[in-house]
Amino acid sequence: MRIRSLTVIAALATVALPALATADALDDAIKARQGYYQVVSHNAGMLFGMAKGEVAYDAAAATAHAKNLEALAVMNTASMWPAGSDNLSKAGKTRALPVIWETYPAILDKQKAFETASAALVANAGTGLDGLRANIGALGASCKGCHDTYRAKEF
Amino acid sequence: MSDAPPPTEKRKVWDVPTRLFHWALVGTVLTGLYLGEYRGFSTIQLHFYFGYATGGLLVFRVLWGLFGPAPARLGRLFPSPRALIGYLRHLFDRRPSAVAGHNPVGALSVLAMLAALSVQVVTGLCAEDDGLFSQGPLAEYLDAATVLKMTALHHTSSRVVMALIVLHLAAILFYRLWKHENLVTAMVTGWKTVRRDDGDGPA
Repeated sequence: MRIRSLTVIAALATVALPALATADALDDAIKARQGYYQVVSHNAGMLFGMAKGEVAYDAAAATAHAKNLEALAVMNTASMWPAGSDNLSKAGKTRALPVIWETYPAILDKQKAFETASAALVANAGTGLDGLRANIGALGASCKGCHDTYRAKEF
Repeated sequence: MSDAPPPTEKRKVWDVPTRLFHWALVGTVLTGLYLGEYRGFSTIQLHFYFGYATGGLLVFRVLWGLFGPAPARLGRLFPSPRALIGYLRHLFDRRPSAVAGHNPVGALSVLAMLAALSVQVVTGLCAEDDGLFSQGPLAEYLDAATVLKMTALHHTSSRVVMALIVLHLAAILFYRLWKHENLVTAMVTGWKTVRRDDGDGPA
């Protein structure tokens, strides 16, 4: 009797563990990409702060933030987007809409827009406040362009 | 239909502060809506200023509703069900309402407009725009989920405000064309043709 129940527990554990591991992997992926966007937001926020005059303009810092954004834009983040990590499967944890996966690779156009906008900032953000201001709008538009289509308004 | 229209007289109904409030509100709301709809990095701050101005006007309107003359009083925005039904019964009569102030239906529409604009201003103070890296001044004191909720509400209630503006204009046209009553001139000059037996004194 005792041995049998142990066997059952062992059998259940064998079946359940991979499932748990998968759930963990999905949560980890969600956490990773949210961290990624935190870093994007930090760098973009510093540039927006300078453009608005809330932070003193510093050409070297502006270029550094722009380069960070460009590096982030070209980063391969595929492993952060496993199937099943959308906001229906993982309610309350993510705002990533299922349409990301349903229409893939359409979302890569948005990433391309991010890359283009950050490349323009690498070239111009350090040339002066005017250069930054002339190019920051496109960066924000690339954020919003993706959010409007692929991100839920609320958790 | 056969009864003779009640005797009327020209009377000053809308006082200067109420009229200034009305037309200033037209300006701040339309500009605010435009700047919000076509918001960009360089103009979003202006959108905020027009929002603050709208909020200031709403506060003034509430105070004026407490201390101002009778036609502008807040109590007039809450018609009794009896008055409302009585007015609705004659709504489609082809003659001017000749009410010395807000008629019961108009009062409800003003109430709806003031409520919707209040929601619009308060949610705007708590909202953010992720493409412009801008947020209302109260957003930093709220948790992220609340800010998202406020942002969504701000966008939805802007549509409610637009719908109420369309309704407002449609009602003005209806009064002008169907009931032969010019409400716009009254809001410009303050003078309105009203029933002599409508109890409110001049402004």
